[in-house]
Amino acid sequence: MTKSRTWFAAALTLTVAVALAVAACGGGGGVSASTATSAYGPISIWYSNNAQEVAWGEQMVASWNKLHPGQQVTGEQIPSGQSSEEVIGAAITAGTEPCLIYNTSPASVPDFEKQGGLVPLNDFPGGAAYIEARTGPGASVYKSPDGKYYQLPWKSNPVMIFYNKKEFAKAGISTTNPPLRTYSQFLATAKKLVSSGAAKYAIYPSPSSEFFEAWYDFYPLYAAESGGQELVENNKATFDSAAGQAVAGFWRQLYARNLAGDESYNGDPFADGTAAMAIVGPWAIADYQGVVDWGVVPLPTSQGNSLDTIATFSDAKNVAMYASCKNRGTAWNFLKYSTSLAEDGKLLDMTGQMPMRQGIQQLYASYFKANPAYKEFAAEAAHVIEVPIVPNSVEIWQAFRNDWSESVIFGQERPGQALAAAASQINQLVTGNGEP
Amino acid sequence: MTQMARATSEVAGGSDRAMAIEPRASRSWWRLIVLLFGALVFIFPFYYMIVGSLQKTENTSPSGALPNPGNMTLHNYGQINAAIGLGKAIINSGIFTGGVLLATIVFGVLAGYALARLSFRGRGLLFALTLLVLTVPFQLLIVPLYVLIARNYGLANSYLGMIAPFAINSVAVLIFRQYFLQLPAEMFDAARMDGASELRILRHIAIPLVRPALLTAMLLTFIGPWNEFLWPFLITKEQSLQPLAVAMANYIDNVAATAANPYGAILAGACVLAAPAVALIIAFQRYFVSTNIGSGVKG
Amino acid sequence: MTSAAAPGKHRSGATEPMATEPMVRRFGRAVLGRQPIGMIFGAPYLLFIVVLFAYPLGLAVYMSFHRYFFTAPGVSVPRPFVGLSNYAAVFSDPAVRQSFLNLLIFLVINVPFTVVLSLLLATALNAAIPFRAFFRTSFLAPYVTASVAMIGVWLFMFSSGGIVNSALGPLAPVPSWLVNQKWAMPSIAIYVTWKGLGFYILLYLAALQAVPKELYEAAVMDGASWWHRLLSVTVPGVRQVTTLVTLLAVITGANLFTEPYLLTGGGGPNGKSASPVLLIYQTGIEQNHPDFASALGIILVIGVLLIAGIQQLVQRRQA
Repeated sequence: MTKSRTWFAAALTLTVAVALAVAACGGGGGVSASTATSAYGPISIWYSNNAQEVAWGEQMVASWNKLHPGQQVTGEQIPSGQSSEEVIGAAITAGTEPCLIYNTSPASVPDFEKQGGLVPLNDFPGGAAYIEARTGPGASVYKSPDGKYYQLPWKSNPVMIFYNKKEFAKAGISTTNPPLRTYSQFLATAKKLVSSGAAKYAIYPSPSSEFFEAWYDFYPLYAAESGGQELVENNKATFDSAAGQAVAGFWRQLYARNLAGDESYNGDPFADGTAAMAIVGPWAIADYQGVVDWGVVPLPTSQGNSLDTIATFSDAKNVAMYASCKNRGTAWNFLKYSTSLAEDGKLLDMTGQMPMRQGIQQLYASYFKANPAYKEFAAEAAHVIEVPIVPNSVEIWQAFRNDWSESVIFGQERPGQALAAAASQINQLVTGNGEP
Repeated sequence: MTQMARATSEVAGGSDRAMAIEPRASRSWWRLIVLLFGALVFIFPFYYMIVGSLQKTENTSPSGALPNPGNMTLHNYGQINAAIGLGKAIINSGIFTGGVLLATIVFGVLAGYALARLSFRGRGLLFALTLLVLTVPFQLLIVPLYVLIARNYGLANSYLGMIAPFAINSVAVLIFRQYFLQLPAEMFDAARMDGASELRILRHIAIPLVRPALLTAMLLTFIGPWNEFLWPFLITKEQSLQPLAVAMANYIDNVAATAANPYGAILAGACVLAAPAVALIIAFQRYFVSTNIGSGVKG
Repeated sequence: MTSAAAPGKHRSGATEPMATEPMVRRFGRAVLGRQPIGMIFGAPYLLFIVVLFAYPLGLAVYMSFHRYFFTAPGVSVPRPFVGLSNYAAVFSDPAVRQSFLNLLIFLVINVPFTVVLSLLLATALNAAIPFRAFFRTSFLAPYVTASVAMIGVWLFMFSSGGIVNSALGPLAPVPSWLVNQKWAMPSIAIYVTWKGLGFYILLYLAALQAVPKELYEAAVMDGASWWHRLLSVTVPGVRQVTTLVTLLAVITGANLFTEPYLLTGGGGPNGKSASPVLLIYQTGIEQNHPDFASALGIILVIGVLLIAGIQQLVQRRQA
């Protein structure tokens, strides 16, 4: 056979394969929604892979299984990947995801919804009422554009500024009331920390370009500065504004003066003392126990807003029910069981993360008495903002992050221009017109 | 895509003769210097990997390159073992790699023999497809393959799902074909005249003659799945099924940050991952130079 | 396609059919070939290719011409035919352009280094020198070792406080190699050169042994220097392999993924070390835009095939 004929034959085979692929698209069985909501039997769930949450998840599953021998629950840690969104998205496609995932990021809910991967909790009798009764009026933020709940707001991790008392003392800065209220105070403190040699960097959020990194540098400060505005409101990007510019300018100064690190770091720069400050939520307290002598202050704003009105980012993780779940009746009962008053208390106790339940400070008063460190976070939990629940959410954050890296972190463009460019791109994405 | 490279090495090496040496006029001292320098560059990272994996606290200064008995510990190995379960991960790697080797040796040899020695309709097509497989990057196929294997075939979280896309190494098929082609045609004709079946010819005449080549091909096939991480990572959601390279990549990505000496733990894992492959080439290093097939046939 | 195809001119594997054979068998041969059992031998492999290669490839082509995203099983969504709009989106994406630029930087560094160094080391190795086996093994060691393992060491060596920077002192780049926008891609190129070199040395070794000794002897008689012999005898003698090495290096480069994924933490800093395949992974798997990713992948494959074709042409003209 000559070469050209061979290639022709190969091409022909491929054409046939394409045709086959086209013909085979679609098909495959799903779960009938109406029957499944009252189906009971064994289910599986995933929870986060940090040690504290694993411990909580294991005890919760064990206690349920003891009470419900016919409806056993298998709990597993979420498989690790670069991000859990990626792992869950792939599992939805394959139909291998579990019934419930206790690590669903609100930002990814719209995408999972578009994939047809989520079960609206309104399907269950009293579903919406349960969510609203537990979380209170704040729950409505988590409604999808079609008015349904595809996620149960579960726990938040309001982020604040942690500081290393030892290094602050070394730099001659007050360790009880450090000057970090306004941007100029913050910058002066940062400079002092670095120039005195107390720490290599003042603060070190991850400079990598993953979409979610913006939640730990730009977004909390933007929440504080703008008085609680979300990234996108009424289908329009909000951040190409004075508040957005102020936040970008502030970070640009930190990077330009080498007060913040722009190399990706292997390890936790705050835990090992490389950076004197960090923006994290209460989940980190357990990690820093016995490693860093830390204090915590609210986020800075350009003018130093009054302390009890400063908003921050919630860094919430929610629970969602996934489409390939067959025994949805069990899953729903288990979901209620795992977010009951008692289990929420255990979650707080074992992980230090804040259940999104109305009035936690009163409900778990004894806990906050015993752990005063968490009080500030519980107070903060009242003024949190969420990521916008809009279509293309992950891409919106990625678009934002790309422009942010380019301008604020690496200084290759003016931050003002970059914000404007990101805003116009996001305005297109949010209406569903933008291509990747 | 090193796959392709592997294939062609054998092709190019086909005419390999014992050792053709450049005339004595060239002095050998400069060769030694160049080679020693080269070997240093190549070996140093391995040496440094071992030293680094034994460090109690990370020492990145030049003095850290020398083993320091005061700063030595096996703790890093314990740490990574606790984090990813080395034993289980190695078994998983072994099953994954073993499955690929088995399928490649059985079906690959059959296909290679057919391509080289049998004249049948569709041979040209099969050969062209083999070449096409080598040109298309695996990453392009990953997305549809994932749907296919995980959803249509329901093979997520299984060894079979892990093995399937790699099952028959096309490079090995080409190597087998190449070696079978080099055997003299008369031998096959004679056997056929005697009425031997093709399977018999393959098993009793062809394979024994190319046995060293089979070993080379198997060694090269081994490298692929043993080192692969993207595919098994996608298809195995359960940690208990993950091969070592996947567990390591995850460890570097996520967990290392929380270890006391993150680099030490990473390097300890790297040592465990590297050891089998390096041991294999040391044990079989003479087969990595294309085997002298011509003399084998004549002798 | 490539030189791998060159040996494809088969010698006939069997004798001519004898005239005494019955018509039926002769007819069978005309249709099925002389040894139809070959079909059975090749069948498992063909099945493998069709199911696990051609079908997914077909699906990728299909996706690139449609609006496609992954859905949960049983969910049917419209997948309209969108013509070339995915391709248009690929071409107009600045991240894609950056990744191809990065690839170009990679190739400009990797290919010449690979060719020159592997030829040099192979020439040095092609003699009766002591420890030959040791040298050969040590050059091959990085090639056979998992990239994941080697990357662990390189991260350690090239981090900002790593041994390379401590040795360089004030000459070390700031920020360090892998996080420096200018150095990230060159660092990857050097790493890949280092890792793959052993294999190319093997290729050259085999080719060097095929260069006729007489040519060297004649050159020595003419009083040619070592350098002159290298240029006038060795280089032309291994030209075919050089073409092959170049091609393989280009293909390897086009498939670059693991290194930017792990060594520079996902193509960082600021996308300056992202490769096209990394983008395929990020857009296709991470961001659920398999349509866009497939279009990008197909453009990449076409690019590689074009380069291979051009090289084939050049080689043919030279021959």
